Amino acid sequence: MTTALQNWASSARRKIKENARPIRREEPIGPARWPVLVLFMPPALLLFTIFVILPIGEAAWYSVFNWNGYGRPEEFVGLRNFEVLFRNNAFRQALQNTGLIMLVSIIIQVPLALWLAMLLARKIPGVVGFRLIFFLPYVLADVAAGLIWRFVYDGDFGLFAAIFGFFGMETPYVLADRNVAIYAVLAVVVWKYFGFHMMLFIAGLQAIDKHLLEAADIDGASGWQKFRYVTLPLLGPTVRLSIFFAVIGSLQLFDVVMPLTGGGPSNSTETLVTFLYSYGVMRMQVGFGSAAGVVLFVICVVLAFTYKRVLMRND
Amino acid sequence: MTDTTATLPPGNRNTSSPGSSFVRTLYTYAALFLVASIVLIPLVTTALGGFKTLGDLRTNPFGLPAEWQWANYLEILFSERYWRMLWNSLVIGFWTTFLTLAVAAMAAFTLAHVRFFGSGYLLNYFLLGLMFPVATAILPLFIRVRDLGLLDSYWGVVLPQVAFGLGMSILLMRNFFRNVPNELFDAAFVDGCGYIRFFWAVTLPLSRPIIATVGIVAFVQSWNNYIIPLIMLTSESNYPWPLGIMSYRGEYGTAWQMILAFITLTILPTVIVFFAAQKHIIAGLTSGAVKG
Amino acid sequence: MAPVSIKDVRKYYGALEVLHGVSIDIADGEFVVLVGPSGCGKSTLLRMIAGLEAISGGTISVDGEVVNDRAPKERDIAMVFQSYALYPHMTVAQNMGFSLKLRNAGKTEIEAAVAKAAKILGLTELLGRYPRELSGGQRQRVAMGRAIVRDPKVFLFDEPLSNLDAKLRVQMRTEVRELHQRLGSTTVYVTHDQIEAMTMADKIVVMNDGNVEQVGAPLELYDRPANAFVAGFLGSPAMNFIDGTAHRGDGAALELAGGARIALGDPGRTLPEGPVTFGIRPEDIVLDPESGTTARISVVEPTGSETHLVAHLADREIVLVARDRLTYRPGDEIRVSFASGRGHFFDPGTGARL
Repeated sequence: MTTALQNWASSARRKIKENARPIRREEPIGPARWPVLVLFMPPALLLFTIFVILPIGEAAWYSVFNWNGYGRPEEFVGLRNFEVLFRNNAFRQALQNTGLIMLVSIIIQVPLALWLAMLLARKIPGVVGFRLIFFLPYVLADVAAGLIWRFVYDGDFGLFAAIFGFFGMETPYVLADRNVAIYAVLAVVVWKYFGFHMMLFIAGLQAIDKHLLEAADIDGASGWQKFRYVTLPLLGPTVRLSIFFAVIGSLQLFDVVMPLTGGGPSNSTETLVTFLYSYGVMRMQVGFGSAAGVVLFVICVVLAFTYKRVLMRND
Repeated sequence: MTDTTATLPPGNRNTSSPGSSFVRTLYTYAALFLVASIVLIPLVTTALGGFKTLGDLRTNPFGLPAEWQWANYLEILFSERYWRMLWNSLVIGFWTTFLTLAVAAMAAFTLAHVRFFGSGYLLNYFLLGLMFPVATAILPLFIRVRDLGLLDSYWGVVLPQVAFGLGMSILLMRNFFRNVPNELFDAAFVDGCGYIRFFWAVTLPLSRPIIATVGIVAFVQSWNNYIIPLIMLTSESNYPWPLGIMSYRGEYGTAWQMILAFITLTILPTVIVFFAAQKHIIAGLTSGAVKG
Repeated sequence: MAPVSIKDVRKYYGALEVLHGVSIDIADGEFVVLVGPSGCGKSTLLRMIAGLEAISGGTISVDGEVVNDRAPKERDIAMVFQSYALYPHMTVAQNMGFSLKLRNAGKTEIEAAVAKAAKILGLTELLGRYPRELSGGQRQRVAMGRAIVRDPKVFLFDEPLSNLDAKLRVQMRTEVRELHQRLGSTTVYVTHDQIEAMTMADKIVVMNDGNVEQVGAPLELYDRPANAFVAGFLGSPAMNFIDGTAHRGDGAALELAGGARIALGDPGRTLPEGPVTFGIRPEDIVLDPESGTTARISVVEPTGSETHLVAHLADREIVLVARDRLTYRPGDEIRVSFASGRGHFFDPGTGARL
């Protein structure tokens, strides 16, 4: 593998050098290019290739083997890993949950963030403080946020216990209830990430020429009309960006879920990545886990391309 | 002059009657305080919870502690494990940031300024990295790191983190470098300066803002990263804090007062740094996203 | 169409007062230009008429009604912004029809109004385009089209030509003026360019530092400036100012600080006596080889249609403009005198006309 890599890298380097020549003939003026190409490109190329591109390719390769990770993958099983995967209830649950997280992110979190950004776009005292507070959860590590909310939800010691106790109700163990747990996780996801989306929108709002809003004032627009006909259309790129991050974030959601539920109870809060971790990594089923990785990869590619075609046309 | 005119900011619009603007302001603040309390209450009760006894926590999770239990915090502060994992996070974060900056800046410079055949393809190649979460290839990555003999070492965490951050970092830096005016190049070349010299003497000194942005993003991501260390590290003495906090929670089970104190102490550095350098951090984390 | 009345209007930003009680009366259908250096408060005043800035004191009335507490949309005004402020996501037609759409006008009504305005401005071909696909001059026209579609009581222009290149600016100046003659609506136009003010206005309001310096017809202000500021602001090249002591005696003269005397020729009126700032426009200094005062040329600037000469007259630098093609070179000596009755005298302390 390593020698193959070295060959590849040196051939890539050779290619770069060869290809530099014809352009040089067109532009004879200027300093020599080869030292910078030879010194500056390889570190990034090597790191990126070894640790990003090759593993993705290998995931596809391993996914057609039954392999425990030791020795070399030899037991070729064709597409059976994928077959087993799609018959696995936990995996289906994970797919469904990932879809739900995406949906909630888009239809609750993004509008919430936009609404708060609009409130904070007003020049009133304390705005900067609120911005900081709302952004704070995003800066905290997901794991810490998850643990904090595990305490909040705790039926014996946490805040939920106190709130329900105050009203004389029996405390629900939300994270232990397979019908409710996913919603508890969703709430934490919104809590953790809305501030980031809000900041995107604030940046987007600040980029809007304020004369346009004044022109709308003069044209006779009400507050809502200004938002509907001027602000929102001009925020189009920001909305699309925000949705893009919401989707990507939903696909790789893992760190928050682990401390909260670890994917339980009975797989009801499994996401694609927690599934991959519990079933692939923990059990060292490299082939099976890689198959899950390939599915995740395909979803990413499909989403990225449809997204580019459908939504980013104008950008 | 009255007080109302004094507080009117420039550009204030005189669009509605005083009554409705008062209602609007009231509504704005009510909404903001509600959201702020939802954000802050979990954080504040966590910090306060660390000062309570378990019994106090059970009966009174919201209020101030009946008796301030400094012992919880002190026990953690005097434990080796707390400092050990912060140190691990720091070392991993430092090397990740340093390598990301060095490697990405060199590649971005080449892609931005040196015209060679295939530079467009090469950029797209790096941008592929933006499309996929680490998780897609986590198993092959584990096997690669294992085969390289880097398992359970800092480098086993640092190198994959750097590699996965390269796409975004190169994109941001290249876009910034391209804004260096061409006349500067021409002037430098006339003075007999080559590309590498130019990189050191002109590009880097002019690029402090983007270096800060990329550096902050790299460090914050490394500091908070969970999945890569989780897969690559096996011995607890190498754990960075997100792993350490999880194993602590595993050990202490329902001793929530200790867990809360531990959480508080581990997120404290983040919170302090965030408030101290908020402008740069917010700009870094969002501009990184926006320009991508 | 309506008269606009501005009475003792003040503006504060915090404790800072930027408009110190401005009063202007604008008649129905009048084209008024607010002109002054940047920071003089002219744009702020315009924005207060528009309703984009709160009025800290005084009243503004449109058509006899005080509009202080009215939102912009209730004032029936239209405004053309310096940056044009065209909605980038709307076509030219949508930009122009937006205000009617907000008023719930019918589709055919909007189309008719837009088509009419487009015809006036020569935009008919461009109605389907987006602002980014237009040139500067075309955007400028769309911004005006957006204003005229509504047939408002008052038009406001905020430095609308300053983003155009010099040639286009001259052309658009004429177009704006023609548009006003055609529509006959009350117009308030802000600019820092005194040539725009002189060429376009029925009435000029010269502002400085939050105060109105003088109001009047262009030539009235040019010929009888109320103070040294107005005198120096209007006209290009600017009026020459010479400080000295005026003497009536035998042949009016100005005595300079160094003791030198400059003959003032026939002042055409009774001269003030004592310390003055004497002002004379470059075109009012004439070459007078027989009886003029000697001056030494330092720069010759031919513009084609006329020649600007910078000369030193007893140590004071003066600029004069001659219609003839002169062949002087730097260092040459000429003799000049002041055209009779064209000199201005100002109080050296207050700047007020004497």
